[in-house]
Amino acid sequence: MRSEKGTALVLGVAGQDGAYLARLLLDRGYQVHGVTRAADPAGLSNLVALGIADRVTMHACEIGSTSAMRALVEALRPAEIYNLAAQSSVGLSFGQPAETIDSIVPPTLAVLEAMRGTGLDARFFAAGSGECFGDTGAEPAEEQRPFRPASPYGVAKAAAHWLVATYRAAYGLHASNGVLFSHESPLRPPRFVTAKIVHGARAVAEKRLPMLKLGNLDITRDWGWAEDYVEAMWRMLQADVPQDCVIATGVPSTLEGFAARAFACFGLDWRAHVQCDPSLRRPTDIAVSVGNPARARSALGWQPRVTMPALVDRLVEAALRAPPPAL
Amino acid sequence: MTKCALITGVTGQDGAYLAELLLDKGYVVHGLRRRISTFNTARIDHLYRDPHEEGVKFFLHHADLTDSAGLIRIVMETQPTEIYNMAAQSHVKVSFENPEYTANVDAVGTLRLLEAIRIAGLTNTCRFYQASTSEMYGLVQETPQRETTPFHPRSPYAVAKLYGYWITVNYREAYGMHASNGILFNHEGPTRGETFVTRKISRAVAAITEGKQDTLWLGNLDAKRDWGHARDYVDGIWRILQQPEPDDYVLATGETHSVREFVELAFGHVGRSIVWQGEGVAELGMDKDSGKVLVRVDPRYYRPAEVEFLLGDPTKAQTKLGWKHTTAFPDLVREMVDADLARLRGERHDSPGHASRSAAAD
Repeated sequence: MRSEKGTALVLGVAGQDGAYLARLLLDRGYQVHGVTRAADPAGLSNLVALGIADRVTMHACEIGSTSAMRALVEALRPAEIYNLAAQSSVGLSFGQPAETIDSIVPPTLAVLEAMRGTGLDARFFAAGSGECFGDTGAEPAEEQRPFRPASPYGVAKAAAHWLVATYRAAYGLHASNGVLFSHESPLRPPRFVTAKIVHGARAVAEKRLPMLKLGNLDITRDWGWAEDYVEAMWRMLQADVPQDCVIATGVPSTLEGFAARAFACFGLDWRAHVQCDPSLRRPTDIAVSVGNPARARSALGWQPRVTMPALVDRLVEAALRAPPPAL
Repeated sequence: MTKCALITGVTGQDGAYLAELLLDKGYVVHGLRRRISTFNTARIDHLYRDPHEEGVKFFLHHADLTDSAGLIRIVMETQPTEIYNMAAQSHVKVSFENPEYTANVDAVGTLRLLEAIRIAGLTNTCRFYQASTSEMYGLVQETPQRETTPFHPRSPYAVAKLYGYWITVNYREAYGMHASNGILFNHEGPTRGETFVTRKISRAVAAITEGKQDTLWLGNLDAKRDWGHARDYVDGIWRILQQPEPDDYVLATGETHSVREFVELAFGHVGRSIVWQGEGVAELGMDKDSGKVLVRVDPRYYRPAEVEFLLGDPTKAQTKLGWKHTTAFPDLVREMVDADLARLRGERHDSPGHASRSAAAD
């Protein structure tokens, strides 16, 4: 089956990455079709925030269902399919492990089976995760690093990753995993720690909150900028040969450093306003998670434009432009 | 205190051997099986007694790894001290055709069982064994494969099993559960499922010997595997759960043999020697004496993505568990061919997949 050139299907279009990717694709002349679980208009706030809510054609589709996915793919014949849909919170995955795998593995399989079954010559981007590596240690993880996931989220993402690799090897599909390390933006919901810190620092500065409670501050992460990462996703599907790529900045930063910078933006000393709450720690937490984007650089010509600590400044600037969210 | 074990997949090859071993050791054994319309209990009929009798220690329950509610209820009712997760859609080739089902049973099913243990409040008292597989090594990253070898799965089965492996590790690390993986290389025996290549060969050799079949059709003759006897392996499985600390272990023979060797030994056992002619799909295996073609290749049996060379290093199991396989490869082949000959001649009735209800007679 021949695909419709310039047609893209984005699963999870209402999330942070989906919204930025949809905007990028629209800017480049694509017809963008989107699927989201968030059916009510409030769930489309990210698309509204980027001013593209009326330019994405939305479809209702139970994406974990192979037959529903196949019907959608047959109807649209997209040239590019991006799967960004997932229960994407690591912390939440301990409490909802079944919901987490259900949101990750069946939709990935459904896209792969739809491509295999229809013979559509589409290209498929699957959003993988740096969480698959577990603790990377000080040496940033590259594509060959063995996985050692440490959360139900990481385990589910690893399974989806291997399904994509298996279908690529077995059926020659143009299917690739982007192994994405943390990437932030003003669209991050406050349940993610970075957004929680930025909004928390602002709330403290505005005297709406006496003290910000955080879990483990010793963790080291590789934080990138979501808009840079969706650019990498698109580039991966423009490559003739499908392959998996780590998408990261390679810059390690501690959560403490993140918090210090955020509070400093408001002229505050974080140590006076942050309280460690052991109940916020995860059953297993990763000490260090850093990726090596060398392949993305050489194979895709991709470079992260926003890195730490400037990334925090951008998040704070954006937060100050927005009305204060409910904490 | 009497030990109480719950075995999922008790009607399968490994589940049945394990049930027998645990009953011999004095356990109360609860076996879970799926409800299906035909009898599939041939492998455990010899262990089963009417629950109304006195002193019965083996109980069967209907359950399914795709049904959380049933799993939680049975775990709560039986309060096991050990759970062995032997249930799976365990056929690699079938997983390419039924990938969704394979993921649901093998991956999510394992998670459902681990969650059932937590929900039942048995996190600190119940030990958990997960049947992991050498297929997770797939495109092998080193040879032989050991516990530290990186995984590279090559089939929906292997991917689903890898999820089961890691979620087991995660529950051990996150909740302190005594949860362990056995990474088992191929293990066969006379009750191996009939679609698996070893059993397919032993059945065909028996049928050809009895004049009921002409040709044995196979896929990749040069696929190499590390084949042990399932009876030996369930002993290793039990030992894993008796360790003070949970851990992951490779169970393997440390030897590798090709499908071709298995064929030669199996025919050799009934007095036929095979000579090979041609290459690839056109390759033939002929009876040296009669010149009759007994073995042919059908590319339909090739896997979409083949796993070429699996060889396990059982050093850790030997050192820490004191476990070693005891059945030599030629003995395994002979036992399987003999069993299939006995079945064909009406001397044995435990062939799985057939509606037989007799006690197994070895």
